[in-house]
Amino acid sequence: MSDGPLIVQSDKTLLLDVDHLLSDECRRAIASFAELEKSPEHIHTYRLTPLGLWNARAAGQDAETVIDVLLKYSRYAVPHALLVDIADTMSRYGRLRLEAHPVHGLVLVSNDPAVLKEVTRGKKVAPMLGLQLDEETIVVHPGQRGFLKQALLKLGWPAEDFAGYVDGEHHEIDLVQEGWQIRKYQELAAEGFWHGGSGVVVLPCGAGKTIVGAAAMAHAKATTLILVTNTVAARQWRDELLKRTTLHEDEIGEYSGAKKEIRPVTIATYQVMTTKKQGIYAHLDLFDAIDWGLIIYDEVHLLPAPIFRFTADIQSRRRLGLTATLVREDGMEGEVFSLIGPKRFDVPWREIEAQGYIAPADCVEVRVTLTDAERLAYATAEPEERYRFCATTQTKLRVAVELANKHDGEQVLVIGQYLDQLDAIGEALGAPVIKGDTPVKERERLFGLYRTGEITCLVVSKVANFSIDLPEATIAIQVSGTFGSRQEEAQRLGRVLRPKSDGRGARFYSVVARDTVDQDFAQNRQRFLAEQGYAYRIIDADEILNS
Amino acid sequence: MSTTSFADELRARSDAAIQQLFELRPDLVTPLPSDFSALAARANSTPSLIRALENLNKWQIDLITAMCVLNEPFAKSEILTITDKSAAEELDALLSRGLIYEDGKKFRIVGNLRNLIGDEPAGLGPRLPANLTVDYSLLATAPEGAMVILERLMWGPPRGEIGNLKKPTPAIAWLLERHFLLAMDSKTVVLPREVAIHLRGGIVIREVNGSAPELTGTARKEREIDRAAIANVSTFLRWCEELAHNWSDEPPTALRSGGLGVRDLKRTAEHLGVDENCAAFVAELLFISGLIVIDTDDQILPTTNFDIWLTRELEERWHGLVSLWIETSRVSGLIGKVESKNVAPLGPELDRAGVPALRRSVLKILQSHPELDPDKNSFASVIKWISPQRFNQDYVEWTLREAEWLGITGQGAISSFGNSLLNGAEELGLQAALPKPVDHILIQADNSAVAPGPLTIEISNMIGTIADIESRGGATVYRFSEASIRRGLDHGQTGEAIKEFLKKTSKTPIPQPLEYLIADVAKRHGKLRIGSSNTYLRCEDEGLIAQILHDTSLDHLRMRKLAPQVLITDVDLHEAITALREAGYMPASENSTGILISAPTVRRAKSRPKPPRILSEIGTPTQTVLTSAVRALRAGERATSHKPRDVPRTTANQTLELLHQFIEDQTTLTIGYADTNGGVSNRVIDPISISLGTLLAKDHTTGEVQTFRIPRITGVSAAE
Repeated sequence: MSDGPLIVQSDKTLLLDVDHLLSDECRRAIASFAELEKSPEHIHTYRLTPLGLWNARAAGQDAETVIDVLLKYSRYAVPHALLVDIADTMSRYGRLRLEAHPVHGLVLVSNDPAVLKEVTRGKKVAPMLGLQLDEETIVVHPGQRGFLKQALLKLGWPAEDFAGYVDGEHHEIDLVQEGWQIRKYQELAAEGFWHGGSGVVVLPCGAGKTIVGAAAMAHAKATTLILVTNTVAARQWRDELLKRTTLHEDEIGEYSGAKKEIRPVTIATYQVMTTKKQGIYAHLDLFDAIDWGLIIYDEVHLLPAPIFRFTADIQSRRRLGLTATLVREDGMEGEVFSLIGPKRFDVPWREIEAQGYIAPADCVEVRVTLTDAERLAYATAEPEERYRFCATTQTKLRVAVELANKHDGEQVLVIGQYLDQLDAIGEALGAPVIKGDTPVKERERLFGLYRTGEITCLVVSKVANFSIDLPEATIAIQVSGTFGSRQEEAQRLGRVLRPKSDGRGARFYSVVARDTVDQDFAQNRQRFLAEQGYAYRIIDADEILNS
Repeated sequence: MSTTSFADELRARSDAAIQQLFELRPDLVTPLPSDFSALAARANSTPSLIRALENLNKWQIDLITAMCVLNEPFAKSEILTITDKSAAEELDALLSRGLIYEDGKKFRIVGNLRNLIGDEPAGLGPRLPANLTVDYSLLATAPEGAMVILERLMWGPPRGEIGNLKKPTPAIAWLLERHFLLAMDSKTVVLPREVAIHLRGGIVIREVNGSAPELTGTARKEREIDRAAIANVSTFLRWCEELAHNWSDEPPTALRSGGLGVRDLKRTAEHLGVDENCAAFVAELLFISGLIVIDTDDQILPTTNFDIWLTRELEERWHGLVSLWIETSRVSGLIGKVESKNVAPLGPELDRAGVPALRRSVLKILQSHPELDPDKNSFASVIKWISPQRFNQDYVEWTLREAEWLGITGQGAISSFGNSLLNGAEELGLQAALPKPVDHILIQADNSAVAPGPLTIEISNMIGTIADIESRGGATVYRFSEASIRRGLDHGQTGEAIKEFLKKTSKTPIPQPLEYLIADVAKRHGKLRIGSSNTYLRCEDEGLIAQILHDTSLDHLRMRKLAPQVLITDVDLHEAITALREAGYMPASENSTGILISAPTVRRAKSRPKPPRILSEIGTPTQTVLTSAVRALRAGERATSHKPRDVPRTTANQTLELLHQFIEDQTTLTIGYADTNGGVSNRVIDPISISLGTLLAKDHTTGEVQTFRIPRITGVSAAE
């Protein structure tokens, strides 16, 4: 019996003992074919999925290597059935190939006529295919490349895509590393993406995903379309690109509600892309406006459905997805993988923290007890009103104010869901409130003042959930949220994770009403972060109010 | 020429030969036939012959078939001519099994065997009538198509259909005319046996398969086989535990026809994370081991044996399960097959005769090919040769599949543990090879805990009640949730005890959210109290309630005041009423619906396990049984050869005289002996001594020395 760091479970999860001597070596070995599921303090969980195994196969690993790695590091005997299953799954990859045919364009090719027969009988696949040229070759209808790949994946016969990518219009882009250095993991992420062709890079908030985007652009050296969540984020991207690359202001265009510029590098918002005019998506044409060589999807976990559909059409262009939390409450992770591409890079948050690139964070759950009157009112409230009721209780307001006062002098963010509550807190603290209806100019002004330290406290609604770069924010106080959304919690923590100039740690308070649905939701919300190894501390609100 | 009968031939066989016969055909000794005629009749009966044929290999069956073609008695040379020279070695085997017997220097087939083989042995038609002859030289001049017809019929079946006998084709007409074919009816012709044998070149059997085909497959390394087998063994034992625990929590209800329903099977399979075949197999094996049982109220529950089983070492558990599996006649593979819709696990319809023997053959082949993962088709062809009558592709495949699940094989090849077990070894060396139990867990911030190995039983029981299992395998991942903590509290734990346990068991500090979770649940748990009580008293007059509570004559009712107007007691309603009336009160009973009964924490069946009967082959008898069987048979034989009347009646004095004489001569005697009811039976005895009016003698039938009262001896004569 060997004493390896890895335990292979029969449900195809791999448990990695991080305290083991060989754990680093093992992690590197399994990362190429297993997906990191969670990484709490002691035991990290990876999962063997068909997708992961096929990715490994695409990267040139064969089943034997995978099995060897498992056997080498496994602490206990590995069930034979599981090994057989791995070999089986991996052997399915590449039986079908998508190739470019000189005459017929895109064709589906297989040396195994039986497999070809099987997939062509699939109800979903059949309409995408055209003429059968010979026993091994079938023409694919133009524009179906993405959909076909998706459908074949569902059938369990992933197609290896040899049709390649269009280069796009050449545009010279280079990184300018003056006064800063690209970090090792950023470089690895960009390279991982480039070699894979398309895919998703998962990095914690504040770990510099923008730079990965810039590095990818430097690899592509082509016209680039960047899709971001909102206008403020668009401007931040522009500023970053100007700072980090050889691009000039007139080379970068903004395509938003306010401006409609199309330049070699264009930054567009999801909102404008999905705006409908007379029932049609008027702005989706942007995808064809220039012969883009690269499309970057920022915060890809938020990708709206119309963009999904359109993305399926542009499978010949390179696509890069960036996110911190690839958990979608709608369960569409699979779609992201098949349309944008598989996960190319992922690293546990705590590891980046250990390297000092994100600030260490202290997560505190503050439990607030409802007053008796509130409890009674809560008990009798309509089920759909309950969360709002307990999330906006008066006691929370007092606790939030008290917390903000306690951290007087530090940069504080109060984040919440309900506008009345935010207004009330803003008033009590004398701090400005940023909401959905705050004009972009005003937002930028306030964020600017906050960055320079002229304002030390900001109250923000969920508009500031993502992509807002507030490097000096050290304290976040969350008073309410979108029910049990795990990624929202992670994104909000992300607001305070940018490394501080003085190396200080960040603190994230989540104010929760005890014995209510708020507490249940909080537990769900914390799960992603807990799985990333962020242990919440629980304190009682009385400790704060009485101190 | 006089012919020897089968019984005569058996009678003439040596004791050793008879013992061998019994060994090879154990069904002949159970029950013991009274004499050789009875033995011959039994050995010639259809059921016994079918059993005997089941144990023959393909080559032996071929030989028997070929012998059916010959006229009896036949000489050894005849059989060798129509088969192969190597057949000579097999004759003894057939002889010792009592399938053929000697008649002088020649052989005969046991009569009934011909009927079993059928009218057309080896695809040969009827004999040519004696008055007809065939001139084979004519075949050279046969018309076109004639040879094609003959070749078609040559290897059987020998009958062929033609359009109309009245208007045959020229070829058929030619063949019929020269008796190469015979007409059976207006549409059918048949190839006579002699012609077919001539065409076959004088032999009967098409291919001589003197030995089993070579088994092919993938070579495996011993180390890897054992590693894989260990994984299989530990996985399998885990499935067993999981299933029993799961059924303890949510007992499935048996179908009316007996057995487990499809839905419950699906649920169980999902719970174990295996396919339904495998789940059914696990359930079946637990059932026949008596670890789970269908209780009287149709709930399927683990028995108390299961609790005992859990305390055993893993090797012992495995040994027990595998030994039962080898012997059982129940075929769990039948479950879920389309053609056997109604076959349910744990149901009454799973027994199939002959399966244990087939299973043993399969295991034997595996044993004789170490480090080989046999190819499915190759394996089938080997089994088909060894046991053509029992062969069933499905059963063979299922046996291989089950052997792998059980860990008798690893990567398809026999493991050293499986091999030792099959060889009857006491120590399998499995315990040392299995992962050592760990006595700690690691708790993480996301409220999950990992046990990095198999847990000791106490810890796994405890943590199983306070956390849900999220992932299984070498390690176990548990998740704590409100519901799981509540369950722990329901099972009698307290918040403090849970914390204490985790603190003691966890190698890592308990994360604060988990402590809060436990405290929160513990705080809420038990605010609402629920209990059961047999009888309650209620009265609006609180004074009366107080009076009853303090009435010393009612002390034995042990009443408890729940509320100012309610008392409860554990004695039953009638007892309470009687007691109250005796004390002078006037209670009136109320309808008692609404009494809550809480479930016991761990549910176990109340009835004793009644595992299903195992249909099995008749085992090979022991040496003692064999010797005494032969002795009894011989005695029976002697007894039948002397009818009771044959013993001349003698007076008591004559008897005594004769006995003294015979004791001196040491002669075996036949005596007439009256029993207490006056019935006279004949005994064959060896007299030893006489004293006090009794004869001490060895009775041949029982083989024991016993006493005979001389006045009861009706006559004495020397045995022949």
